[in-house]
Amino acid sequence: MGGVVGWLLILLAPLIGGVLYGMERKLKARMQRRAGPPLMQPFYDFFKLIDKRPMVVHSLHGYLGILHFLGMWLALAVLLSGGDLLMVIFMHLLANSFLIVAAFSVRSVYSQLGGMRQLLAILAYEPIFLLAGVGFYFLSGSFEAKAVFELSSAPLWAMWGIVIAIIIVMPAKLKKSPFDMAEAHQEIIGGAEIEYSGLFYEALYTARWLEYLFAYAFIVLFGGANWLLGLALAAVVFLLVTLVDNATTRLNWQQTVAITLGLSLPLGAINLLLIGIQ
Amino acid sequence: MRLERFRKKSPWILHYNAGSCNGCDIEILACLAPRYDVERLGILNRGNPKQADILLVTGPVTHRSRDRLVELYTQMAEPKVVVAVGSCTCSGGIFRHMYHVGDGVDQFIPVDSYVAGCAARPEQIIEGVARALEILEHKSHEIERPFQLRGPLYCSGEQTIRRQMAAKVSDETN
Ligand code: SF4
Repeated sequence: MGGVVGWLLILLAPLIGGVLYGMERKLKARMQRRAGPPLMQPFYDFFKLIDKRPMVVHSLHGYLGILHFLGMWLALAVLLSGGDLLMVIFMHLLANSFLIVAAFSVRSVYSQLGGMRQLLAILAYEPIFLLAGVGFYFLSGSFEAKAVFELSSAPLWAMWGIVIAIIIVMPAKLKKSPFDMAEAHQEIIGGAEIEYSGLFYEALYTARWLEYLFAYAFIVLFGGANWLLGLALAAVVFLLVTLVDNATTRLNWQQTVAITLGLSLPLGAINLLLIGIQ
Repeated sequence: MRLERFRKKSPWILHYNAGSCNGCDIEILACLAPRYDVERLGILNRGNPKQADILLVTGPVTHRSRDRLVELYTQMAEPKVVVAVGSCTCSGGIFRHMYHVGDGVDQFIPVDSYVAGCAARPEQIIEGVARALEILEHKSHEIERPFQLRGPLYCSGEQTIRRQMAAKVSDETN
């Protein structure tokens, strides 16, 4: 995806992400037979948070939150402009590590617990995203996202195992049940984000929209040149993740890591082997 | 753009049980469930004082819970409102004048909206919250302080440090 469309997508990413987040909340409510909040609810929250009296634990904590947001946007920008996939994945990891450093920099136990659990969640989903990067390399001969968008036969068919593996780890990535131990509202009350408030929580809130967009944009990659197929796949995953989120309860970290890695790593590895043989 | 307009479109709630019998807590949870579904009004139960706008209190404030109540209240960022849910929260109700309770939350923190009833019905609670939202829209960013257990509020330059605000001043308030 290049040129004007790519740049427009990058600039409007927080807006699109916000709408996506609103859609998710609405869909989740409809699945529970509730009316749900209006579609624009995330933006109402956004404006309300600006208006709150600023409170900050210490300045570095606040800045790390903002860096988390910027890092997330940069990772998304590299992906949408057709850049290097490894760069995308590691940029994204860097953005998350800002949040983890912030979580450990305050004295709240909940925050520290959240930081540790966030690290475990990264352990659960990161390997699969790397395997996907390698898979794309085998198919297109390059780590560039641009090359993947030019593949005439959709990578989805060759990389079926990795697609299933990514669907399995998706809840861990988006902090959804059953793998939402890193956030765990009502248990550790948001974990890493507990000490943020007002304007600084804003950064985390919008970073979450970008994270949604990032995860689903990564899935669109599996459609190759046929981006309609990619979008359809992303929509299916969106429905599936929301359904699973509504239907399951939270697992603890041992179960999370065992299930995600135990199922998805072998699947991904076998799939990579098969691609290698062909 | 007037940002105050958005305050009542996305009120986030912190719910604290200051020694209630749990009757009103169940009614509050009923508000969040599909039948009344307050999320359609943008209301979320955050459970985090730093990100909440409305403090929903139930219970007559037992001596054990009052320090926590004041602590939670001081941790909330302004603008904020307090809704007292249930008769015992408003005035002590059936617990009034008992040896271990402080008759109602308004002895400790300023209350903006009272919801009577033992237990308060979900419709009443939603009404009480709606009333509180009207007040919230006109609040300033002035720091609001609890009445009792009040320690000093330090200011250094631009920063206010409210860590001591909920400290115990003396034990005479028993
Ligand atoms: S008002 Fe009545 S039902 Fe509600 S918490 Fe108090 S005693 Fe329980």
